Amino acid sequence: MARSMGPVRLKKTSPVTIVLGTALCIFILYFLIGPSTPDFSASRKATAASHPLSPPTSPFRKSTGSRKPKPPPVSHYNLNNVTVTANPLENRENILILTPMARFYQGYWDNLLRLSYPHELITLGFILPKTTEGNTATTALQKQIARTQKSGQEKDRFKSIIILRQDFDPPIQSQDESERHKMKNQKIRRAGMAKARNSLLFSTLGPATSWVLWVDADVVETPPTLIQDLARHNQPVITPNCYQRYWNPETKEMDERAYDFNNWQDSPTAQDLAKQMDPDDILLEGYGEMATYRTLMAYLYKEDGLLHEEIPLDGVGGATLLVKADVHRDGAMFPPFSFYHLIETEGFAKMAKRLGWQPIGLPNYKVYHYNE
Amino acid sequence: MLPFASSGSKVTSRHHVSGYSNGYPRGNTFEISPHRFQPRGTTPASRRQRKLLVRIGVVAAVLLLFALLSWSTTGSALSVFSLGLLSGGGGGDDDFQLETVRYYDLSNVQGTARGWEREERILLCVPLRDAEAHLPMFFSHLRNFTYPHHLIDLAFLVSDSKDQTLEVLTRRLEEIQAAEEEEDMSFGEISIIEKDFGQVVNQDVESRHGFAAQAGRRKLMARARNWLLSAALRPSHSWVYWRDVDVETAPFTILEDLMRHNKDVIVPNVWRPLPEWLGGEQPYDLNSWQESETALALADTLDEDAVIVEGYAEYATWRPHLAYLRDPYGDPDMEMEIDGVGGVSILAKAQVFRYGVHFPAFSFEKHAETEGFGKMARRMQFSVVGLPHYTIWHMYEPSVDDIKHMEQMELARLAQEKEDREKAEKAQKLKESFGDTTGQWEEDRSQLQNLALQEKKAAKEKNAAAAEQAGAPAAGGAADEKVVARDGRQEDGKT
Repeated sequence: MARSMGPVRLKKTSPVTIVLGTALCIFILYFLIGPSTPDFSASRKATAASHPLSPPTSPFRKSTGSRKPKPPPVSHYNLNNVTVTANPLENRENILILTPMARFYQGYWDNLLRLSYPHELITLGFILPKTTEGNTATTALQKQIARTQKSGQEKDRFKSIIILRQDFDPPIQSQDESERHKMKNQKIRRAGMAKARNSLLFSTLGPATSWVLWVDADVVETPPTLIQDLARHNQPVITPNCYQRYWNPETKEMDERAYDFNNWQDSPTAQDLAKQMDPDDILLEGYGEMATYRTLMAYLYKEDGLLHEEIPLDGVGGATLLVKADVHRDGAMFPPFSFYHLIETEGFAKMAKRLGWQPIGLPNYKVYHYNE
Repeated sequence: MLPFASSGSKVTSRHHVSGYSNGYPRGNTFEISPHRFQPRGTTPASRRQRKLLVRIGVVAAVLLLFALLSWSTTGSALSVFSLGLLSGGGGGDDDFQLETVRYYDLSNVQGTARGWEREERILLCVPLRDAEAHLPMFFSHLRNFTYPHHLIDLAFLVSDSKDQTLEVLTRRLEEIQAAEEEEDMSFGEISIIEKDFGQVVNQDVESRHGFAAQAGRRKLMARARNWLLSAALRPSHSWVYWRDVDVETAPFTILEDLMRHNKDVIVPNVWRPLPEWLGGEQPYDLNSWQESETALALADTLDEDAVIVEGYAEYATWRPHLAYLRDPYGDPDMEMEIDGVGGVSILAKAQVFRYGVHFPAFSFEKHAETEGFGKMARRMQFSVVGLPHYTIWHMYEPSVDDIKHMEQMELARLAQEKEDREKAEKAQKLKESFGDTTGQWEEDRSQLQNLALQEKKAAKEKNAAAAEQAGAPAAGGAADEKVVARDGRQEDGKT
């Protein structure tokens, strides 16, 4: 018995050893190669610059050695090959999301993370004023960035993030809704905003960007497919309708109302008003003292309308705005002065038109503004 | 026991011999042919277990193989075989080395009068098109800049070029960056940007400067400049310097010289040398000017898309031009407020461009490109200044008229030369064929003189008796006249 059982038992154990060994091998190997998570890193590494002096829209490799850094390489960028098409996903087009920020809203950041466009093709750019409020916002922003970029999931990490601090003081210290919207403060305030937007745009655009998406820091809810949906129209400048959710005390339930009145089609009244104005004065929308009778996109929303219905616009707001990089590269910027009696984003629409680009609005496609 | 474990044959044979391997006697069992019964060595339970384990093993092996294959495509296979030791810092570690967040405080890059001491970075922008021929000259300027080279970032836009501009440019830049013995020669970030705008206007001097082509050409140039700037401007730049590739002579210290004025936008005076027959030198860049009432009135009469271009008779603007105010001995630091600027050499604070001033590719207050840039900068309350007595020299490229003129001059010169040569030949011939006449002349003269003397003697003898005092002076005068006439003829013969 014992004699015969011996070899039998051994025969039985030998495959177990092999299997255990294999399992162990896999286990070890997994940890050996594990850290280099396949897909994302490869494409990330391919787009990374080799020197810190490089376009900020891509990450760069930090130099490890203490030896003297080499001079930067001669970099070629062929802008003929930077496509801007209706299908950015397929062509792997780079998106630059720009946000002038005075206050940090968690809802804004969470909404960004929810965007379904591949994050390794998205670069974020922020500009914040150098005030107490701006410092607080910067700290909060950096905390969220560190969480996402360092310890977040690979698919959540953005290609590159640029934080700028403004080189001028905001003309009006208070960011309170009431103070901010006073008519006499508007021109100075919006000139400041325009300068901030231009500073952000022209120092981050770089040679690889196909689309620029302007999102205000207080836009807290957009469809996750926002970029794909807007790009689908293949328009030079396109903006959805900006609404706001609020608690309606009359119906005792959540309701929504129009928010951004800078998306409009021009009216003869407004043009007549402009003619009588001093060259430095500006027309403003949404103020009773200055009735312009323009067609406001905010009021063109139809519940049963087509989601992707397009209308041409003469003025645009900056809450959410997708712009082909070509438009900005041609020189369309946010005038911080009265440009045809328009300023900032509305002036931008005019300048784009002067350059031959027609802005488009989507009255039935909604994004939501934070409610304070 | 162990040695037996692997030798299955022994076990089998032993069973065969004894026939009672399971310890039970073979009782009334059916006889099954063949008469050799090999009992199973394991219980059914352990058999199932073994099967299962083998299956798991196979599946694991297949999985491992698959994983290896898929990993090897991403380049990590090496680390599998070297057990991750060889590629030490490579592979996964690289991810932690990637820096994805950049932070800049724009108030640190404002631009000051002494930028080289504060390590302020300059972006040098150069638009290029079919400029291969000018590159050697441009690179000599580049090497000679006294501003610390590592603080200068270079950006080139090569558009619609049919020659070797791109190749030559790349090669020369790579040489500079790679030269180890001259470390202080290498520059900062270098971007070469290619973008074709499909310009239809020819780049030769005549079509480039023809009046009709101006508005469209200037708008295209403006687009090119804007594309270059927007792709190359970084949050780390304090200054932006625009420089044309065809500047022939400029001070090496031009960056510092212009920076010292600490203005938002500043341009030097641009002249060009000319051939002697055209006056030796000439104002070149007429786009730097002060606004005039006439021009403003003119602007009001034009339609929205019209572009006023300076230096053409079609638009008489009566503006004071920076170029015409030059005094070669004037103070080079003298400043003059201007409204339009020329694009040959502009130093501007990066802030000007960051705040949105650009080269309008549309009619901005009836101007485009660099003139529109000046106008827009003024509109945004930036200081725009020109230096009338600080001059740089643009290359002289003869215009079609000049070339025609020069051809005519060349023809005239050749004709003149031919004529001269013919004359000389004729003279030579004359000299050769009548070369002996000089001796003959001498003889004739001495004979004539002798004759005259004889005549005088004869006359004297004749008159000696009659009227000695009255006739002598008159005859002497006539003789003198004859000598003068003869001398004159002699000179003619020599020449």
